[in-house]
Amino acid sequence: MNRQDNEKAVAGSGAGDVLSRQVVVSNQLGLHARPAGVLAQEAQNFASKIQLVSQEQEVDAKSILDILTLAAARGSAIEIRARGEDAERALDRLERLFLTRFGEKK
Amino acid sequence: MAESVIRGTPVSSGIAIGKAFFVNRSYQSLLPRQTIGPFQVPAEVARLKAAFAEAQKELVEVRKRMPKELKEYKLILDSHLMMLKDPKLVDLAAKYIRELHVNAEWALEKAVAEVDKTFRDIGDVYIRERIQDVRVVADRVQSRLIGRGAEVREAPGRYIIVAHDLSPADTVELELNKVMAFATVQGGKTSHTGIMARTMGLPALVGVAGLDTLVSDGDLVIVDGIGGKVLVNPDDDELAKYHDLELQFEAYQRRIIRSSQLPAETIDGYRVQVLANIELFEEVAAVIDNGGEGIGLFRSEYSYLNRASLPDEDELAEEYTDLAAIMAPRKVILRTLDLGADKFISTFGRLDEANPAMGLRAIRFCLKHPEMFKTQLRAICRASAFGNVSIMFPMISGLREIRQAKAKLVQAQDELRREGVAFNPEMPVGIMIELPAAVMIAEILAQEVDFFSIGTNDLIQYSLGIDRSNHHVSYLYQPLHPAALRSIKHVVDAAHEAGIEVSLCGEVASDPYCVPILMGMQIDCISLSPKAIPGIKRIIRQTRMEDCRALLKEVVDCRTVNRINRLVKETIFKRYPEELTFFASLLDSDELGG
Repeated sequence: MNRQDNEKAVAGSGAGDVLSRQVVVSNQLGLHARPAGVLAQEAQNFASKIQLVSQEQEVDAKSILDILTLAAARGSAIEIRARGEDAERALDRLERLFLTRFGEKK
Repeated sequence: MAESVIRGTPVSSGIAIGKAFFVNRSYQSLLPRQTIGPFQVPAEVARLKAAFAEAQKELVEVRKRMPKELKEYKLILDSHLMMLKDPKLVDLAAKYIRELHVNAEWALEKAVAEVDKTFRDIGDVYIRERIQDVRVVADRVQSRLIGRGAEVREAPGRYIIVAHDLSPADTVELELNKVMAFATVQGGKTSHTGIMARTMGLPALVGVAGLDTLVSDGDLVIVDGIGGKVLVNPDDDELAKYHDLELQFEAYQRRIIRSSQLPAETIDGYRVQVLANIELFEEVAAVIDNGGEGIGLFRSEYSYLNRASLPDEDELAEEYTDLAAIMAPRKVILRTLDLGADKFISTFGRLDEANPAMGLRAIRFCLKHPEMFKTQLRAICRASAFGNVSIMFPMISGLREIRQAKAKLVQAQDELRREGVAFNPEMPVGIMIELPAAVMIAEILAQEVDFFSIGTNDLIQYSLGIDRSNHHVSYLYQPLHPAALRSIKHVVDAAHEAGIEVSLCGEVASDPYCVPILMGMQIDCISLSPKAIPGIKRIIRQTRMEDCRALLKEVVDCRTVNRINRLVKETIFKRYPEELTFFASLLDSDELGG
């Protein structure tokens, strides 16, 4: 995935811009309990506010319960939005998780 | 005499004597709803957060002590930990404390109910069911808030787990190295509790009515997984008697394991192939360790479940090839997909069948979806180049279905040949006999295939018209019902008449009372769960074929199940004194019926 094409800065209201990046769920089982847990755990390491958006549903990336309610199957397109000092780093890290299928083989 | 003796269904054999500990007792009825004053709000929020933190700490400890055999359960525990850390649950509960001025227990229950609501609309069954995990996690916090249960959890020593019902989520939270046995009010023979207990080699009983009221935490109980009883606060005589039985059973188990690699041959030299039923590649080790001579039934459904899309050919071929290669030269019978549309909602849409057991499933479903079917057929053929592979079609009701299925198989083989992909053109093709219709026309079906495998679980259900998992009628499920025995005998005779092999997979094959009768019929192979193999092999090795034939002769003339049970017990079982001690209860529970 070419990051330059996908990254865009959305005009933020107030402090800092909202950065966003497009990813696709590529592991076989989709965002089931384990990847959702891994994702939330990583997201909790960042100070930024991080949201996942899929099919007009917007959820908190730091909440495993929220991520599960997306019920994102393999092939779902997801937009990660982050706002805060470490937003750029958070996006890099979370994108990496999607690209490596959360460590799952398939 | 014990305070009370309660009967239940044994799902894992053995004896345990120890202290009872209740898990998963529904907290809802215990929860006090209290209104608090505004000045109490900060303290109540702090109490809530402390309970979450303590529960988290407990869980980290549980995870550390989890036994190696259950490492896949660790993943469930990890998601439980994340749920505890999830700001959403705790923040929501804190919000209710602040806004509604209620106590922490009540606020948490309300928060779980709220999460439940958002989960209810999720289409994916697997994700929707994760609400169970949320409940288990919340219960752990509740027990901290109420200050109950923790004493027992921290108590030294091991205990017997008593529960209304146990979900996989409940069991992973237990410290399994401290568990001696399970007893639950709900659940049937195939429940999760049974599978878990057998994996761990712990005694377990399900369907023990009245456990919740008759047993309290800390009571001394005996779980008799042999006789199917729970004794609450037994007297000294009972304790002594069960202690002896426990020792005897352990010695017996060691003996059968030691002889499990010997062939299944009767005293008078008659051989039966003893194969294994499995559904995961990982079970291969258990098959070989327990003396299995091959795989008599590989249930191929697992790779299709819990996922958003269907598996592709390479993935399936890799799985089947690994299995064939590691078992070679031993036989591996791969059964094609035995599922209905209800399992593939994301791919095929919901069918809304009023009666799925008689609906579009197994071979019917596969023939309706030829692309999906062909993918599996090609994968099986590819694996056939690497070992001793046979293919088997489930739920065959007549000739047309066999011919259609075989035509698809030939098509797949033609394609592979054109592509230059290796496969075994001589791969044996068999069918499951599990519908009464197939029994009636077994002579005709035998002309079309290389072997039969009698699936007794379904055959008995369809013959007697009862659903085993329906507790209103499950007492009618009788493997020794004259109709069941006559069906099996008819199929075996038809197969031998046509000169093809016949095997039997289903619980009957691991029932020590049925096996001598099956042998009397001259069954060629039986296929059972790996764990049951050593015990059954031992029975076969103590048997004389002439006794089995004599038994069968009398059995076919019996008109009632009771009569057959008595006959088996009074004749051939006299030859196996140990089995008579450890399995006699199987017969007793059958006597409920007519």
